[in-house]
Amino acid sequence: MNRSSRPLQRGNGPGRGKGLSRGAGSDTVAAYLFIAPAIIGFTVFVGYPLIRSFYLALTKYNGLADPVFVGLGNFRRLFGGDPAFWPALRATGYLVVLYVPLSLILGLALAMFCNQRFRGVRIVRTLAYLPVVLPAVATITLWKFILNPEVGLLNTVLDRLGLPTSLWLQSPSMSMPSVVLMMLWGVGGTMIIFLAALQSVPTELYEAAKVDGAGPWSAFIRITLPTISPIILLQVILQTTAALQTFNQPKILTNGGPGFSTNVLMLSIYNNGFPNLGRIPQLGYASAQVWVLFIVIIAVIALAAKFTSLWTYSDNTPD
Amino acid sequence: MTTLQTERRPRRLIGTTAWYVTALFVAAVMIVPLLWMITIGLKSGSAVFEIPPRLLPREWTWSNFIDGPKAIHFPRLLLNSTIITALSVLGGVMTAMMTGYALARLRFPGRKVWFYLFVGSMLLPGVVGLIPLFQLYKSIGWYDTWLPLIVPAFLGGNPLFIFLARQYFLAIPYSIDEAAKIDGAGHLRIFTQVMLPLTRPAWITMAILAFQASWNDYLNPLVYLYSSGKWPLSVGMAAFISPFAGKTPDWSYYMATNLLYMLPPLVLFFVAQRYFIQGLGSLGSTTQK
Amino acid sequence: MKTKLIGATLACAGLLTACGGSDSGASDGPVTVTVMTWESTQTNAVIKKALAEFKDDNIKVELLDTPSGQYGDKLSSLTQAKKLPDLFWCGNDTEQQYTQQGLLVDWSSKLKDSSDFGADKFVPSAIANWTTADGQMGGLPSLMNTYGVWYNADAFTAAGVTIPKAGWTWDDMYGAAAKLTGKNGAKYGLVADQLTGPDGPFTMSMYSVSAGGAPFTDDVNHPTKAEADAKYTEGVQKLTDAVKSGSVAPPGYDASNAQSLFAAGKVPMMFGGQWLAAGFQVDKPKVKYGFVPFPQVTTPATLYDSVGICTPQYTKNQDSTFKVLQYLNTKVWDAVLPESPVAPPAYTPAQASYFDALTKAEQTTVVDTVKADLAAEKTVGVRFTTQWAQQVGDLTTAEYQPIISGKKPITNLPAYVEKINGLIKSGG
Repeated sequence: MNRSSRPLQRGNGPGRGKGLSRGAGSDTVAAYLFIAPAIIGFTVFVGYPLIRSFYLALTKYNGLADPVFVGLGNFRRLFGGDPAFWPALRATGYLVVLYVPLSLILGLALAMFCNQRFRGVRIVRTLAYLPVVLPAVATITLWKFILNPEVGLLNTVLDRLGLPTSLWLQSPSMSMPSVVLMMLWGVGGTMIIFLAALQSVPTELYEAAKVDGAGPWSAFIRITLPTISPIILLQVILQTTAALQTFNQPKILTNGGPGFSTNVLMLSIYNNGFPNLGRIPQLGYASAQVWVLFIVIIAVIALAAKFTSLWTYSDNTPD
Repeated sequence: MTTLQTERRPRRLIGTTAWYVTALFVAAVMIVPLLWMITIGLKSGSAVFEIPPRLLPREWTWSNFIDGPKAIHFPRLLLNSTIITALSVLGGVMTAMMTGYALARLRFPGRKVWFYLFVGSMLLPGVVGLIPLFQLYKSIGWYDTWLPLIVPAFLGGNPLFIFLARQYFLAIPYSIDEAAKIDGAGHLRIFTQVMLPLTRPAWITMAILAFQASWNDYLNPLVYLYSSGKWPLSVGMAAFISPFAGKTPDWSYYMATNLLYMLPPLVLFFVAQRYFIQGLGSLGSTTQK
Repeated sequence: MKTKLIGATLACAGLLTACGGSDSGASDGPVTVTVMTWESTQTNAVIKKALAEFKDDNIKVELLDTPSGQYGDKLSSLTQAKKLPDLFWCGNDTEQQYTQQGLLVDWSSKLKDSSDFGADKFVPSAIANWTTADGQMGGLPSLMNTYGVWYNADAFTAAGVTIPKAGWTWDDMYGAAAKLTGKNGAKYGLVADQLTGPDGPFTMSMYSVSAGGAPFTDDVNHPTKAEADAKYTEGVQKLTDAVKSGSVAPPGYDASNAQSLFAAGKVPMMFGGQWLAAGFQVDKPKVKYGFVPFPQVTTPATLYDSVGICTPQYTKNQDSTFKVLQYLNTKVWDAVLPESPVAPPAYTPAQASYFDALTKAEQTTVVDTVKADLAAEKTVGVRFTTQWAQQVGDLTTAEYQPIISGKKPITNLPAYVEKINGLIKSGG
């Protein structure tokens, strides 16, 4: 779509437009051999589950006996009677609203901070990226203890500095901000993408702006932001879809509590589909929840696409 | 920013100081939790719960680094994680490179359709597959084996890699293929002998991303494996601190073991830092193409 | 050693499917009976040793190696995969739900046929709770879980508060909690997960029952109604006030570290099971502590449940499995409990070794309290064991806990109870 309207649209690699190899007949066979694994994988791990889970969403199914078709019964229970569903949607929304903007702003700020010429900038960059490298389970559990109100590091430090402490994960109002705080520790991932984007902004543009007498702030607004806007959009989509599917953090940090305050949709799905303590799973019901989540994700992507040109990644090789 | 150079000197000094203060703060936020983890790992079980907490242990309990790993059969889980990760890295990179090659450099009907399907599946939440695939694996006898963690990688399980590979292949001049073809090389030979050496940075980057994804994966092994002897480290580590039947998590054991669990990705990071940064960074720059 | 380990892992752990523990293989060899517990590594080692004493040429007993934690997740997976071991530790809820699904072997007839291992040899309430509505027993109770209040005697003395003893009242408890709060690093005077957690409404029955009122539900296994009478509401009000004053840990408090904090002297009073005694015996808290029955209003009332051992209906050899089950229930405890006094056995002849071990360890308050609990006339169930128990849990989180934490008025209590009655009627 709308490809030509974007600035900085460079050619698609050398040889664009005339390069694809000829001899289509032999290519077709070879190509399908090359992509055969991916096609099988797509059919089995994407196509099949999609259809099957849609069917399961319309059934009552505990994994032990055959599914029983119940029509829209699961969805009626979701939107009508389940006291846990709306809180789960709310918690998921709250997480997204809190995490995505903060992650983008902090990530961009950190990227700009690390995009300067100071001695030691590489060390800062490395350290900022370090938490992303570490295994999720390891860092999340570490943070569970850091946030412990009685013996955790955070309250200890705040206390020594004479700052107010908090119950963090154990307080219904602070639990989600605490989860987000932990997630923001991994902001280095966002930073790295922005850093690459910033480095690809041509320096001539800044020099031209300087000649025009623009200060750093107006250069940021007039040059940096528009130039990296495709990446900002990409980040919004990636971060939002990832945040909507947050599972590890609430599962390990709070298991949804206190109350329903961190019981995000993914966790609710997991607990219904794979319940603890010898309870009978409600796989059909969990599948219905999966579809609600799926539709929310599609909606977010569609919304993002409507507002901007999402098709940065479109296949723009010639046919 | 570059504008700094033109400012007057005192202002520049303030700017520099502010930068270093901020840098110090950022560095502290990132590194202090990890240092604190090590001190907990060195405390005895009861010293962890002293109030007010001490920042440094009174007695250095080095034995935690032996007893902690022992409690979860660390060597076995490490071996499990290594095998699972190695195989899924191999599979993930191999199929992504093959698919990327075909999508970028071969001309065949359905090319666009497959490209959009593969890339589109990047946006499909993984959880959609969880329940049907769980039932599928159960019925074909894959449940409680490593196959569900490995086989998908060999079948193009990570669409992001396909996308990255294709992006990279697009940037290579087509004259190279033409030359090889004139020499009588088939696609397999072009792929293995011409393209793979040329795309080294791409597949190293992918291998690192695949390593991270597999080493860190928690939900999949949690769902698909029940025998503790087959668990990877991620599940074993989480089992450490999940309270059950009135047992209190042993935090000092946990933190000591956690350090060992973090070590392989940490070492890899410092060895191949360039590729780590490039890995995600390539997302940022490919968009500009 | 190392090569052996690698070989075993490769062969067993990974790429091959056929590596089940219960693979009995050839027809003429001895039958293997697999056992899975949720006990700690130390306790498992003792159980293993005791099982080695089991002598039967045709039966080989194998204790599966289970890690601490995540037993619940593992149980769910094994159930789905239909790979449950021949004997596995299970809670009363699991037994009730699985039996109704036809997943478990019914042992009720075996119990009837036996004279020295009959139902009359078990704690009566345990047998009653483990029997389903249609008279089946999907497993046998093994250990009783009794509950009470653990207290830090040093903290009480330091604060000048009388040390609690059997017959103390709820007002005594809240009064003590208020005085202990904030002393010597104690954030709360009382941590009572059983009252503020998802099972809170059931625990609260102790208050109303002790005051002569009605329990929250008439029967946790086969409920016909839930109610909150005047006495019950009074109990909720008192708890709400105590939480509001900051002396009782509010709903949402992460109790998983409470035991360690108690041992470190930072939690002066906490609700808990008798099984903590076994852990304290190993960890040796620095403080002087004791265990007292729950407070009362007029008559003693307590809370208990029992855990047990279940067998999947697809087990290969029921008779051999039952032999091992009988051995576990009658003999194994005599070896395990002296080393790790976790709980009194449900099989009454085996109880002596439990109490002897505690007496020897000078845990006399635990002995007294457990004995008092087991003898208590008024008991209440811990939680619903029905199929729709999880939905009750969600309702509790949505409606009951906000009342306790003061976010919703206590006048909302009847509405919560009505919703549960709705679930009881519709059966989920």
